[in-house]
Amino acid sequence: MGAAATILLPWLWPVYPAPGVFRSKDKARAYHCERAQHEAPSHRTTARVEPPPARGEFRKADLIVCTQPVLPERLRAPEDEVLLRTLDDRTRQIAAAAHALRPELQARTWLVEAHDGSTAVSAKLRFATQNALMEHGLAVSDRTPVLGYGDMQVVTRMGPAAAHPAACSRYSDNGSLLENDVLLVILRPDARATTLAAGVCEQGRWTWL
Amino acid sequence: MAWAEDAVDAQLREELDRARTRVASQVQLTAYDLIDELVYGLTQDPIFGRPTPVVLAGVSVPVGLGTGMQALLENHLSDALVRNPDTHLQLVHCPACTAVVVHSGPEGTVLTRGIDDPELLDRLGDSTGQHALFIDVEAEGAWLVLRARLTRLTPDLPIVWSHTLAASASTPALLRDSAELKSAEDARNEYLDMLHDRGHVAIPLRFSVRNYAGVDTFGGVGGIGAPPFLFIQSGAEITPDPRQAWLSSFILGYAVVPQAYQGLMGQARFSRLLTGKQRSLIHPDLYGFVGGAVMTVWGPSAASFRERTLTADEIVADAAGDDPRATFSTIQFGLDLRLGYRVGLSSFLETIPSLRDSENIGNYMWLFGLEWQTFGTEVTFWF
Repeated sequence: MGAAATILLPWLWPVYPAPGVFRSKDKARAYHCERAQHEAPSHRTTARVEPPPARGEFRKADLIVCTQPVLPERLRAPEDEVLLRTLDDRTRQIAAAAHALRPELQARTWLVEAHDGSTAVSAKLRFATQNALMEHGLAVSDRTPVLGYGDMQVVTRMGPAAAHPAACSRYSDNGSLLENDVLLVILRPDARATTLAAGVCEQGRWTWL
Repeated sequence: MAWAEDAVDAQLREELDRARTRVASQVQLTAYDLIDELVYGLTQDPIFGRPTPVVLAGVSVPVGLGTGMQALLENHLSDALVRNPDTHLQLVHCPACTAVVVHSGPEGTVLTRGIDDPELLDRLGDSTGQHALFIDVEAEGAWLVLRARLTRLTPDLPIVWSHTLAASASTPALLRDSAELKSAEDARNEYLDMLHDRGHVAIPLRFSVRNYAGVDTFGGVGGIGAPPFLFIQSGAEITPDPRQAWLSSFILGYAVVPQAYQGLMGQARFSRLLTGKQRSLIHPDLYGFVGGAVMTVWGPSAASFRERTLTADEIVADAAGDDPRATFSTIQFGLDLRLGYRVGLSSFLETIPSLRDSENIGNYMWLFGLEWQTFGTEVTFWF
């Protein structure tokens, strides 16, 4: 009897929010869970986490923080959802990398461009990155460098690896990117990708971050 | 939502619309809260030392939600800024700022919004706005994040200020009054003060109806049964705890139905909050209570409180002489639902130990070894 209970109980009542008899897989998937540390759970964990006792615990306890997203699944495209879910973290990482690129760039004026299949997501990426750069104390401008019609015809026929250095060079040549300006470009290399790429353009030189 | 239109059928679109409607109200309240927090922050730490014209250049909402929410947030932000001049942000109307303008020059033909090209704004003669305020709200996992930036409308378009705020979706909105914004900490203290300021004594006014079971309630026969007794009651409700988790009440009541009965009663109750550790200002609260009462009733209907079945002689004798009178004590328990410190609805069961063998009054149920002969309902008001 005891052995049967030992086998059945974890199956009937699995650890929250794992799916089981009383919790469907769809419901379980509605939660985002991440393993955290007892000592420093996360800056985003609102729950109060008791620190482990000074002499340690008898058994090892895992701390898993599960949160339910604001918007339910399928309300937006999966590739957008995966990007927007961690928008803050991603843009802060990019801003930190850009800030740390070269010390002399910190005194320049930063411009931000974002390229994504979705115009709305591009705007979100740009906004979040601008704010993240401002938090680093950088001078940020809302200007956007422009390309002429002929340049656009050429650049849009190139692959991303060649297009961005070429555009960077043209920005500098046509005067829309001034000598004191640094352009930070964020892009999704592939429409199906969940990662972002970023590069910096200054004085006609392109550098991938 | 081109993705949704292309990839899903009508049924799924309908499901998405339902989901969108369900979350929109919650997102809207949290977004309002973030906007209030933003404006409150600006009143405490203004960007400018004096009132400065600002164009509300754009408000964007979480991807997946509609433009209806965008209009609501825009209105709420405008309302909060107008009601809080201490922010020193003076909203101005600038149609050319947000309009898309086409202009041709030596550099080519450019399609742009006015705020993206301040030189063009100058040429159009619209220089009402000196700064443009952009607001973006996005749902990022379990968080709703608000970002704001203020751009000076000069050819360089420098961003002069930016701010990011986040709120967990599980945090209830503070629902602050736009005209009287306060910090989250102050709002919570005010909430607690309101609980404390309720005082330790309250005076309720209660209307109650007691229904007595007939002896034939469960198939029995005999007895004349007692009519429902209506009492109007008032007294004192005392709590030692500002959270009002425990209450005691002492109530006096009077009942009168001409030609039928009159009655007086005194009642004491102890109540315990069952929903949470303290009274809520916004949600209904449920109390469980136990208590006792002493009642004295007189008039023709009081004859029902005799133990034995009335005979015709007793009825005639009562009519000819003094009205019958009955005095008895009761024990009661029940539930009390209270709404916003103003209205309470309660139901209870009551036993009259001295009438447990009465041939005139039956019982609704057996519980804890007692017969519960009375079912009562009450409406209570606090002023």
